[in-house]
Amino acid sequence: MEDTLLDLLHSEIINYTLQNGDEKDKKEEDLSGLEYIGFSTGYRIIERLTKEMPRFKDELDTMKFICTDFWLAVYKKQIDNLRTNHQGVYVLQDNAFRFLSRLSSGKQYLEAAPRYVAFTCGVIRGSLANLSIQCLVTAEVQSLPSCKFHIQVQRM
Amino acid sequence: MAVCAAIVGKDNSPKFFCCVNPDEELAFQFKVLSSLDIIEEKLNPTNKSASDNRELYLGQLYSLETCKIYGYVTNTKIKFIIVVDSTNMALRDNEIRSMFRRMHSEYADMVSNPFYIPGEAITSKMFDANIKSIITGTV
Amino acid sequence: MSRSTRFDTKKVNSELVTLTYGTLVAQMVKDLENPDDVSKQLDRIGYNMGIRLIEDYLSKTGSGRCLDLKDTADKIQTAFRMYLGVQPNVVNWSPAGDEFSFSLDSNPLTELVELPDDLKQLKYCNIICGAIRGALEMVQLDVQSWVVQDQLKGDPNTEIRVKFIRRLEDAMPAGED
Repeated sequence: MEDTLLDLLHSEIINYTLQNGDEKDKKEEDLSGLEYIGFSTGYRIIERLTKEMPRFKDELDTMKFICTDFWLAVYKKQIDNLRTNHQGVYVLQDNAFRFLSRLSSGKQYLEAAPRYVAFTCGVIRGSLANLSIQCLVTAEVQSLPSCKFHIQVQRM
Repeated sequence: MAVCAAIVGKDNSPKFFCCVNPDEELAFQFKVLSSLDIIEEKLNPTNKSASDNRELYLGQLYSLETCKIYGYVTNTKIKFIIVVDSTNMALRDNEIRSMFRRMHSEYADMVSNPFYIPGEAITSKMFDANIKSIITGTV
Repeated sequence: MSRSTRFDTKKVNSELVTLTYGTLVAQMVKDLENPDDVSKQLDRIGYNMGIRLIEDYLSKTGSGRCLDLKDTADKIQTAFRMYLGVQPNVVNWSPAGDEFSFSLDSNPLTELVELPDDLKQLKYCNIICGAIRGALEMVQLDVQSWVVQDQLKGDPNTEIRVKFIRRLEDAMPAGED
């Protein structure tokens, strides 16, 4: 039942951040405010989720956690595919991404897709940041409702 | 009962400190900061015994004449430190573990406050009161 | 799935809603600066959510039309339980029977929130007021909803008051029931 609430809240946050943005440049939507809300949320929720868990062995262990337990709890399923080059780049593929599954697969929805994944990019970035993994997260949507999240770990 | 508790952030900057006896604050702060080195050593991946132990509780870090110092590090690299008076023989390992778990729970709740900015020092009075009651065992 | 779920999905979703909402409020405070503007926005966001939540509610419960305001209050009570996991008490009916309050002694949205001193005017729960207003508008009821008591400000309960204004016109000619 809770799902509806989060989905609606997510849509409203998208509307709020877009309406707050600069009216002038309509082509490039500024999704950074949306990403930040995701970042802050991810940062906080990971503190709560990892309370009872044993220490992570290494970076890959942490990524696996994100793809399985974390994704399952938040997005109702596990990540379908995790790829890595073992040098700090990870690609997480979700073939039925929760926030995209309500959009029909027309072309106009594809263009709007970035809005629906910005929050999640922030959540991933925030969660990893709190686990001491600084990274950049971007998303690629080629066909709805499938989505690929690209994580690039920033080595200091 | 414990006499002092501290929370140190990821970058080793102190976030929170509370002492049952305010006169001893400075002395304890020094002891707490020096125990950070020991924590680092325990967490060091090249240290064989460290990688075998995946618990968050680190156990006793070191002991001085008057007190013993215990540590606990979360997955988010937040370090909790509790200082216990040496004369207190009654406090068992289990009780200290449970104190840390309660502190962790309080901390997680506090971080969930949308108006707390992570990285800042903790100024919430409610948090201060809760931690004090955890370490003095009055919960 | 090879292993059992480590986390209670319902609980995590609930915490996610709480944290996301909290972050949104904190961000608005930064953007808008004036707590009253933030309160108004929260009400509007609640309204937008309410007009959609009602569809979800009706499809999940198969509810028919409400007979009277009391019936409406009961249905909203159920909705609180469905979406927020808490059941408020319906109290303080006005003598005319056109006003009542929902009283919550725990609220998942505000559980972990501590309002800083400079935000004491903020109506953090305004989203609920807006949602009630939006949802009822979709079933032809025009109401006002506002926060009377707020646990974040030290009150023992959070109390949200609802006042019936009028029934909105269906496409029925006047004179017919």
